Amino acid sequence: MTTSTHLVYLIALPLLSSALLLILGRIADKWGHLLATLVSASAFVIGLLEFFAMRNRSGAARPVTQHIFSWIAVGSFKVDASLLLDQLSIAFVLLITGVGTLIHIYSIAYMSHDRDRRRFFAYLNLFIAAMLLLVLGDSYLNLYVGWEGVGLASYLLIGFWNQKPAYATAAKKAFVANRVGDVGLSLAIMIAFTQFGTVTFSGVKEHAHHASPAALTAIGAMLLLAAAGKSAQFPLQSWLGDAMAGPTPVSALIHAATMVTAGVYLITRSNFIFDASPTAQLMVVIVGAITLLFGAIVGTAKDDIKKALAASTMSQIGYMILATGLGPVGYAFAIMHLLTHGFFKAGMFLGAGSVMHGMDDEVNMRRFGGLAKFMPITTVTFGLGYLAIIGVPPFAGFYSKDKIIETAFNAGGLKGILLGGAALLGAAITAFYMTRVVVLTFAGSKRWDEKAHPHESPALMWIPMAILAVGSVASGFLLASGNAMVNWLQPIVNPLDHAHGEEFLKPIVVSILALLVVAIGVLFAIIKYRTVPVDAPTKVSIFTKAARKDLYQDSFNEAVLMRPGQRFTTGLVFTDNSIVDGAVKAVGFSLQTIAGWIRNVQNGYIRTYALVMLIGLLALIATVWVVTL
Amino acid sequence: MSAPVLNYALLAPILIILGGALIGVLVEAFVGKALRASIQLPIALGSLVLSFAFLWRSHSSPSLTAAVGSVSMDPAGIFIQGTILVLAFIGILLIADQDNFTAQASAIPGSEEEASSIATGKQQTEVFPLTLFAIAGAMLFPVATDLITLFVALEVLSLPLYLMAGLSRRRRLLSQEAALKYFSLGAFSSAIFLFGAAFLYGYTGSLFFNDIATAVGGNGSSSTFLYIGIVFVSVGLLFKVGAVPFHAWTPDVYQGAPTPITGFMAAVTKVAAFGATLRIFYVALDGASQTWKPIITAIAMITMMIGSIAAILQRDVKRALAYSSIAHAGFLLIGVIALNKEGLAASLFYFVAYGFATLGAFAIITMVRDSAGEVTDLNRWAGLSKKSPLVATIFSLYLLSFGGLPLTAGFIGKFSIFSAAYQGGNMAVVVVAALASAIALFFYLRIVLMLWFSEPNNDSVTLVIPSILTRIAIFVTAIATVILGIAPSLLLNPATTVATFFH
Amino acid sequence: MSILTTLELLPLIGVLALAFTRKADALLAKRIALGFSLLVAVVSLVMAAQFKSAATGFQFVESRSWIPNFGINYAVGIDGIALVLILLTTILVPIVILAGWNESEGGRWSAKTFYILILISEAMMVGVFAATDVFLFYVIFEAMLIPVYFLIGGYGRGDRAAAALKFLLYSLLGGLLMLAALIGTYIISTNQIGGTFDLTKLSTMHIDAPTQNWLFLGFFIAFAIKAPLWPFHTWLPSAAKAATPGTSILLLGVMDKVGTYGMIRFCMTLFPDATKTFTPVIITLSVISILYGAFLAIGQKDINGLIAFTSISHFGVITLGIFAMTTQGLSGATFYMVNHGFSTAALFMTAGWMVARRKSSKIDDFGGLQRVTPILAWSFFIAGLSALALPGLSSFISEFLVLAGTFTRYPIAAIFATLGIILAALYVLIAVQKSLHGEVKPGNESLTDLVLREKIALVPVIALIVLLGFYPKPVLDVINPTTAVVMQHAGATDPAVKAGK
Repeated sequence: MTTSTHLVYLIALPLLSSALLLILGRIADKWGHLLATLVSASAFVIGLLEFFAMRNRSGAARPVTQHIFSWIAVGSFKVDASLLLDQLSIAFVLLITGVGTLIHIYSIAYMSHDRDRRRFFAYLNLFIAAMLLLVLGDSYLNLYVGWEGVGLASYLLIGFWNQKPAYATAAKKAFVANRVGDVGLSLAIMIAFTQFGTVTFSGVKEHAHHASPAALTAIGAMLLLAAAGKSAQFPLQSWLGDAMAGPTPVSALIHAATMVTAGVYLITRSNFIFDASPTAQLMVVIVGAITLLFGAIVGTAKDDIKKALAASTMSQIGYMILATGLGPVGYAFAIMHLLTHGFFKAGMFLGAGSVMHGMDDEVNMRRFGGLAKFMPITTVTFGLGYLAIIGVPPFAGFYSKDKIIETAFNAGGLKGILLGGAALLGAAITAFYMTRVVVLTFAGSKRWDEKAHPHESPALMWIPMAILAVGSVASGFLLASGNAMVNWLQPIVNPLDHAHGEEFLKPIVVSILALLVVAIGVLFAIIKYRTVPVDAPTKVSIFTKAARKDLYQDSFNEAVLMRPGQRFTTGLVFTDNSIVDGAVKAVGFSLQTIAGWIRNVQNGYIRTYALVMLIGLLALIATVWVVTL
Repeated sequence: MSAPVLNYALLAPILIILGGALIGVLVEAFVGKALRASIQLPIALGSLVLSFAFLWRSHSSPSLTAAVGSVSMDPAGIFIQGTILVLAFIGILLIADQDNFTAQASAIPGSEEEASSIATGKQQTEVFPLTLFAIAGAMLFPVATDLITLFVALEVLSLPLYLMAGLSRRRRLLSQEAALKYFSLGAFSSAIFLFGAAFLYGYTGSLFFNDIATAVGGNGSSSTFLYIGIVFVSVGLLFKVGAVPFHAWTPDVYQGAPTPITGFMAAVTKVAAFGATLRIFYVALDGASQTWKPIITAIAMITMMIGSIAAILQRDVKRALAYSSIAHAGFLLIGVIALNKEGLAASLFYFVAYGFATLGAFAIITMVRDSAGEVTDLNRWAGLSKKSPLVATIFSLYLLSFGGLPLTAGFIGKFSIFSAAYQGGNMAVVVVAALASAIALFFYLRIVLMLWFSEPNNDSVTLVIPSILTRIAIFVTAIATVILGIAPSLLLNPATTVATFFH
Repeated sequence: MSILTTLELLPLIGVLALAFTRKADALLAKRIALGFSLLVAVVSLVMAAQFKSAATGFQFVESRSWIPNFGINYAVGIDGIALVLILLTTILVPIVILAGWNESEGGRWSAKTFYILILISEAMMVGVFAATDVFLFYVIFEAMLIPVYFLIGGYGRGDRAAAALKFLLYSLLGGLLMLAALIGTYIISTNQIGGTFDLTKLSTMHIDAPTQNWLFLGFFIAFAIKAPLWPFHTWLPSAAKAATPGTSILLLGVMDKVGTYGMIRFCMTLFPDATKTFTPVIITLSVISILYGAFLAIGQKDINGLIAFTSISHFGVITLGIFAMTTQGLSGATFYMVNHGFSTAALFMTAGWMVARRKSSKIDDFGGLQRVTPILAWSFFIAGLSALALPGLSSFISEFLVLAGTFTRYPIAAIFATLGIILAALYVLIAVQKSLHGEVKPGNESLTDLVLREKIALVPVIALIVLLGFYPKPVLDVINPTTAVVMQHAGATDPAVKAGK
């Protein structure tokens, strides 16, 4: 364990610059974006330095900690503001700051015409800070702060153009869906505190094995719920599609490369919980498998290029979640796929942004076509990303995804076959819908109207795309060669210690199978989309209909949660006025009634008064008689 | 047998008042109408002051045998008498405003005679001697220690009040109706009282409280004679204090009587009657408490509740205050059933707190008028604060004191009397009292709300600038209400030291 | 003379000063009021500096005989909990005066009267938290209602008179029940230790279970009405809708804390056994309040009504923390009292400014404010984030401490309470979207953004919300020792850790 004094700058710098840009306001319009980019870049540099420093240390000395101050200390509940940079978090730091910086640069050009570009960059920095806190916090509570911090940034960025009601709604939807997940995280932390008396990763890891299986499963389930919210996994996936309302760089950074993968980080970070609870692991793989298919299927029917990519993201993260549920070996592959995905998906999103940039913000792929010759660079970078995601060797996806499929098959027994099958099927569908995207966008005949003048994007935009494309090509090989990633993460998730049972399928077999189904998917798409109608055909199979409507996820939520909730609320408002408050009014009313009766007796006639007195007298005598009986 | 020995020094306070009353009668007989008022007032006030001076002297030498054991000038008794004198003094200051009284009580309402006597401004002032007689009765009432003296005091107190109730200058018919009701029901209750007295005598063979006490304490105290005696005597007294169900006269009389008289009745009469009630229950019937406690407790609860609830619907401020005074009778009964030193001390404090606020409130009522005289319709009091914030503030102060809000005398009164009852083991009654107070507050605050937060609806209502005397009355009562709320010890200490009845 | 007495007297001196000003001269009245409230704030900070947080028991004590006949003293003194609440008061009052500089306009009476009432309230708020004599506490507890009654009824909006009456009646009813219990406690003391109202002495008594239960209820219902706990809450929304923003801040931000404060100070300290007996019921009511308040907040059309119901929800959290009887719950609840004060202040201030500009409090009348008045919009948004307890803001720490502390003893209750954070996101973000986002609604085009005075008033509040979120230590260090004392007095200990050590 090494201690450091400057980890905090990783977070402090972007946070301060974000605050500065927001507080200074218009004054900072001229240079705001530059400052933000500079800060992000410097964070990346710090990250790199830390990384190499870590490489040069060995084994136990690699993790770095920094204790900043004692944050909350109430009785046995002690949480320090302190950071932990280990083999796992450094991977994320590099991804976040690296891709983050590229996207800052890209955005300088992409947002150049927006009057609120400074605000946009402030939000980006805010996101970087929060995301770094998320991965650097040394306890679940610190993580939680970053966790909701990125949620806020995401909310602000999705709703960046919130003058459009639909966009504002999308932002709100994302935040609320995430909050559902946050309930899970909160409860997980509470259970952990009740069980172990601490919420630091190290503390929980140390005592995990003391806890009852039930407790561990509970924690695991709650963490999974959190992950599902943040990473748009089933059943909390519905927000990601709408989140595409945000500017495209945001979709690339937050809703593809980094934030949405936080769930994978959370589960990997909590490996000691899941490894100890097979039930929790089972839940994880089920969620992962469902989501990877769900996303893939939705992806086949989307005409909006960004939504298609979003569906793909959902599906790819499904792969990662699936992997994390497959035990120690899975984690490394999950992270590996996470990193490669970070490159190629971000690259493709920036590509999509570049296309929109050239096509007056048109997103409907049916109105693209044949763009290859107008924007060659975009086409190439996007194409490399495409090859990576469908898993063609030697591109990145091939290494990471095949490992996951293989591991899934090796999970053993029927479970293994089902999971492996799902993963394989997903690969096929992925090949199909990604090919569809490429064909519709870059190949075939032009279908856009004359007003559009497609053109290549400026260097400021394509250079980041190019860099990411390089990553899409090389990252897989680099991480996989010599089992680099696995060995790197070994101290954290120790996959090698758990030598698992005999292989169900040889790696090579898996690769061949995968390539086979991918080829089928690609061909099918190419044949199907030789001609593309400009308007989406209406007479389509119920499956297509379902896919277009995101498999009715929204209809379901509205029917089951939203409308009943609204009715319930109106009901309560009524109850509060009529019944709860009414009860009080009733008391007042009944008093008045009694007062009315009294007034009737008070009729002004002496005889009545005398009678009342007499009755009173007799009553008293009766009472005394009874009392002294 | 030798002539009875009287300790004139101790009886002086009462005798002086009676003397003043007689002089007043002579003045009424021989002095011209024009001059009377200017002579009567000094006489009345003078005799009150003189009486108080003698009372002050006698407080150092208390005695059981001021008049052969029929009057007990014990510290508590002297304290009550003092209270009565002070309240009466303020009461007379209000009565002095002759505009409230008919010029010629004998004249038929609306007759030529009446009209002329008003026109000539020739004012009959029998109200002063009458008041003094009533005061004398009131002073004797709480110190009487045998049933006959008690009854005589009761009548000396009551008879003048019956007349005074009928003296209103405006709405005379209402006033006279009130007088008649008061008289006939009063007679009814007196009869009941006498009946009870007879039974007590029959049971104990004596009229003196001490003998009754010993008799009651002695033989297990279980006899129909005793029970009937206790019940009937109680009813006689409960009528005077206006406890439910013997309260029915109160609203009508309070409404009909001239406002200053209402104030006088509500304050002085109530104190006197409670003084007597406390003494008879604490001294004479102490031994039979297990017999009367249940019924008095029940009466107390009903009285608090009915008084508070009935007040809610009242639209006439005088009727409303009548019910408020009924509710307060209920609270004061708590002091009776407490049956301990604290209870007595608390009651003594409560007398003063309640008396001051009551007189003040009625004083204010005399100021709110239109062409037809006093305006008692609460709806027309709306937005009074616009016309005079000061008056509205003071009236609100009295109301809050009635309601027993902290930092007013009323709160300390309630607090001490409640704790006395709790001490005496009557928790139930305390809870009921709390609820009753809440209900009462509802109606007090509704008035406050009207004064401050509603727009004045018609401007024919005016606030007359009252005579200097009335102003003094209001000033004194308001100050007292605040002082006793903030520094209650000023009165609590003496009240606690004197809080014992000799026997 | 204790510095606490000074704190109580200073505002009253301010009242005297105001009394000698001319009605017409509103500006002078405002300046005097602001000046004195600032002076009070400074003095209170001096006091805080001298406060020894490690020491248990009351500090800055002063005791003078007041009504010896009942052993009643003017006795003051503070521990950690009282200190933070007094600071909350003294810091908020000048902010309220500055924020609502023109609030007194459109009232029934002059600005002079308005500020007299405000300063009287401040003196009483300090006094009520400082009182260590139960009788003194009660007197102020009740008397405090009168100035607020006139502030609502005299300077409020809409159906202000009715709202004021409703508020007063609810509170007084509770007060009378408390009076009965108070007397009961006193009588028991006369029999056991000689009649006294001294809190410390009273807490040494041994009261049999049934009596404890009755006395507890007497106190608790009064406090449950004050810190509105379902179903005693219905007075709050009408009051909040009618009152001026400033009054609402003082009422919900500070005075209602007397309720939760009283639960700790009196219910738990004087009747520990009864507290245990009633805990299940109270926990249930708290959870109901949390969810109920949140749902109704979602359903509100009036922005002040919305804030009122969020407060009901948050008071539920505070009560939950108190009666969870764990160190985290209790400290969290106390800390939440402070945070809720500031976060409600921020909400009412910003909402008040929006209403004052738009001349409407209907949420639907706003829209697109982010484009017209960015700074105001941001302020409201941040206040909203504080209300939904966003991590990094102070309210998060307290809320989480409460939930975690509750979970260790009552997991089910904690789970239901945690669901509240989803609803919180909904009621805040729905309001934010309707009022700040979307196209600029007609009627909002020409609204003006915050002026310097308003910014000055708001900055300290936001700053505290953020700073205490990052670094709560200063406050927690003051609260924790007191929490320990209360816990130990109530005979409660934290549940043991299940697994590990």
